[in-house]
Amino acid sequence: MSDQAHDTGVLFQLYLEGRLSDEEAVALHERLTAQPELGETLLDHLTMDAMLRSSKEAAGSAEIRPALLPKRRFTFATLSGVAALAACITLLGTWALHSLDGMKPASDEATTASVAVLTRGVNLEWEPDTVAPAPGSPLSPGRLRLKSGLAQIEFYQGARVLIEGPADFELVSSGEAYCTSGKLSAHVPPQARGFRINTPKGAIVDLGTEFGLDLNGASAEVHVFKGEVELHRPAVPMQSLKEGQAMAFASAPKALAANAAAFATLNDLDQRTAVSQRSQYERWQAAGTGWNADPGLRVRFDFQDSEESRSLQNLARQGAGIPAGSIVGGAWTEGRWPGKHALDFRNVSDRVRLSAPGDVEALTLTTWVRVNGLDRAFNSLFMCEGWGGGKVHWQITREGKVRLGIASRDNKPHTDYDTPALFTPERFGRWMHLAVVYDPAAKEVRHYANGELVAKLPVKTIFSLHLGMAELGNWNDGHADRVAIRHLSGAMDEFALYARALDVAEVAALYEAGGEDSRK
Amino acid sequence: MNPHETSAAQVFLSHHDFVKGVALKYAPWPGLMEDITQQVFLEFMNKESRWDLSHDARPLLATMTRHVAMRLWRDRTRDQPETVRKLADHIRLLAEERDTPPRYEEEIGVLRGCLQKLPEKSFELIQLYYYSDVPTPEIAGRLDMKADTVCRALSRVRDKLRECIQRSTAQGGQAHV
Repeated sequence: MSDQAHDTGVLFQLYLEGRLSDEEAVALHERLTAQPELGETLLDHLTMDAMLRSSKEAAGSAEIRPALLPKRRFTFATLSGVAALAACITLLGTWALHSLDGMKPASDEATTASVAVLTRGVNLEWEPDTVAPAPGSPLSPGRLRLKSGLAQIEFYQGARVLIEGPADFELVSSGEAYCTSGKLSAHVPPQARGFRINTPKGAIVDLGTEFGLDLNGASAEVHVFKGEVELHRPAVPMQSLKEGQAMAFASAPKALAANAAAFATLNDLDQRTAVSQRSQYERWQAAGTGWNADPGLRVRFDFQDSEESRSLQNLARQGAGIPAGSIVGGAWTEGRWPGKHALDFRNVSDRVRLSAPGDVEALTLTTWVRVNGLDRAFNSLFMCEGWGGGKVHWQITREGKVRLGIASRDNKPHTDYDTPALFTPERFGRWMHLAVVYDPAAKEVRHYANGELVAKLPVKTIFSLHLGMAELGNWNDGHADRVAIRHLSGAMDEFALYARALDVAEVAALYEAGGEDSRK
Repeated sequence: MNPHETSAAQVFLSHHDFVKGVALKYAPWPGLMEDITQQVFLEFMNKESRWDLSHDARPLLATMTRHVAMRLWRDRTRDQPETVRKLADHIRLLAEERDTPPRYEEEIGVLRGCLQKLPEKSFELIQLYYYSDVPTPEIAGRLDMKADTVCRALSRVRDKLRECIQRSTAQGGQAHV
């Protein structure tokens, strides 16, 4: 071994290449034992070596001379590219380590398993420990156990079903369901012809019509309001029912007259929805007075300013020195309920400029937001201008994680506090309550979504935060020559900033007053 | 691929840098990270029907990765000369005892920016060794250098990249700057 080979850099490289001789391995081992700090450096080299190997895919094939490339086995970096999912599928097929019959062609598009959507609901109450979707939720195949309330489900093939609780209803596909109890009415347009509802006593196949199904009594009944349905029962010839006809089919079939009045209609749903939304809206308005008086509240925008206004009035009683937020570019739109205003952020220029307080020891930020998509790496919620000096960035990453970034201050390091991915495509287009709390007493950052704690992250270094000029829905990064494009794609209809840490119950109360049932 | 399998694959994909970080912590052997990540992916997909994908997958993936890493570590080091095996075990202990959590996930994004800032000659070295898989003795021949000089140069470039990443993350990483 040459003297040069004893150079630490050379030994590191030989270790990374797996080419250390016995003598060199002993030399490196002895050196690591004698100089513990060298171990840290070697680990850094190992990590960097691994990252550089992984970054090969991102480096671009144009930079690589294929003739020099030895045949390499597959590296997982393949999966991290644009066609990640496609590679994933290819992998599964290639390795064939578990059977995946009927594999579809690879696609780099995001996919969804949903077959229907819960378009509306009034006074919905689901059985405990079961799936409890909110209105607006896409629905995947599976069982829904509605305890009470009225739910409107639209199947992707076009059929619309209005279910009255209590009901036990299972989605099978975009054109089929299974119902064991409850009462429902279905509207089946021509394009959804063939829509099928199975029951324990028989199946109803719709030929493009409107019908009702009542499985609450001992005698299961089907009522045809318009068009025609087929009734299929085990070991019995198919029976056709036409408009105005009804049949009890649980045991001995019995012909009846169709009774549309016995079933909830769209009109009923409209009326009950309107009443419920009004009630939620009034409840939220009534709660606002109490919230505004909170001694820790510094900024509260309820977005109920007139639609001609280009500013948002700060309603916080303790925020007297903080002026109204200034609307730049954003357009007014409808918020959580009819009559509730919201601001739509669409363009790179859309934002609300505000002057937040200077230094705060603790902080809570809350908002109601409707995210339409995450088409940028970072999507702003509340962003202090620039970065550094204990400033705060609250944003959503492209992966759907909500991130509170706190900049370094007084040589104390910057930290990002992330939730798991919350915003998946199924969440887009729905109102969601978000809150984040910087709690120096508990030494933690807490993230909440729809009133529930979704992440609790330890804070190692406590220092006061500095807010100052900030923006909702966008970011002024402080650069004169270039500005990062980081605007939110979506709408916001409430925002509050507290100079104190709200606890779990307080955040839940804010969410509850936002109105779960009526959210669109 | 059924919808749940597709979802499971998507969940894994969104966490694969996290898995790599954990793999490096428990099996700091050159080149082993990719194998561990592949194996965790296979085992995760093989049992996908058991996972509740609505919850944070990190604790589950961390446990799976640790088990796979230990297993592959044993397989990989078993046939090494005793001197190398002892050295490798020493390095593994150092990695396990490291206080800081794996930084791979955070740093991989920053690395790309740092690569762009490298001087031309340094980047050429990275290209040859990492992207074109040219062994260091062959690089030495092409560049008319000694093999040890190439090794030292690669070490220095990694040091420079590390410094760049530390500077960048201290300023907030790619999310804020």
